[in-house]
Amino acid sequence: MDRMKILLVDDEHEFVTTLAERLELRNMNVSIATDGEAALGFVENDPPQVVVLDVMMPGLSGLEVLEKIKAMDSKIQVILLTGHGATKDGIRGMQLGAFDYLIKPIDIDELIEKLNEAIKSMA
Amino acid sequence: MNHLTRKEVAFFGKITAGITHEIKNVLAIIQESSGLMEDILGVTEDGTFPHKDKFIKSVNRIHRQIQRGIDITSRLNRFAHTPDHCPASLDLNEIAEQMVLLASRFARLKNVVLESSPSDPPLIIKSDPVSLEMALFESIEILFNITGSGGKITLSPRKIQDTCVLGVGYENTVFFEEDFLTKISSTERWASLQEIMARLGGTVKVFGPAPEILLHLPESIDV
Repeated sequence: MDRMKILLVDDEHEFVTTLAERLELRNMNVSIATDGEAALGFVENDPPQVVVLDVMMPGLSGLEVLEKIKAMDSKIQVILLTGHGATKDGIRGMQLGAFDYLIKPIDIDELIEKLNEAIKSMA
Repeated sequence: MNHLTRKEVAFFGKITAGITHEIKNVLAIIQESSGLMEDILGVTEDGTFPHKDKFIKSVNRIHRQIQRGIDITSRLNRFAHTPDHCPASLDLNEIAEQMVLLASRFARLKNVVLESSPSDPPLIIKSDPVSLEMALFESIEILFNITGSGGKITLSPRKIQDTCVLGVGYENTVFFEEDFLTKISSTERWASLQEIMARLGGTVKVFGPAPEILLHLPESIDV
């Protein structure tokens, strides 16, 4: 079975690197980006199956990045990470085409479940 | 609340909300790091790690404290967003529950059990959320200060003769002196509470023998 190809995008470098290590231990192929521009570079050059994208980032916001990803390749699934009390961003994101959203700090098992669902929905 | 005070409160709210997001990011990193430690232990062969039990116990303790931190910052974040809309549509059950969480530490220091007793159906009013929470907190503080240690305070939204009321009642096994209610209504805090209630277009009364402060609230106010 092919390894799931994931892109993690969050401006908190230590958060994405640690989460990437945890997902790699679960046999996933993980890339990381710490801003929207870098994320879009990955999508263009080495497209992932699923992007896990923080909503609150300096520069391009998560919702802006989501819109651009969907314009580049609508098949790529996006799971948004929002803060507590910012569920309206998650809902807005789903209106813009996000697969789902999770509230930070996230539960790894819940994230994996969402990633699997996102991959299945692409079949 | 006058215009300047409202702007100051909004400023404090905005800064506090921003800081709670930062704290959450810190907690998220600690959570992932301790999770990674757990993952690594999980893929380590049995018997090759001599202090496995102590390690697991320690990681579990970190997880519990992260969850505690998340709960506390979530409450603080919600509180920080209180001034965002005024007047706002408020569910008195939610306001009471929120206050139980926010004042739980103060109650613990007084050895008081603080709880809410929701109304069914919920009571929804249009009011100033910051002033309402202040009124509720003042009522709790009045009871803390006048009753000493121990007992139970219950926040109970309900309707009395078609008026929305938030009751703040105190129960204890101690005997309440006859002048107890007079004592409550002669405190400086009581005057402050009356002032807040006037701003909310409501009134405040206290009943005994086991004291209950009743905040009578209009269903709608113009701010």
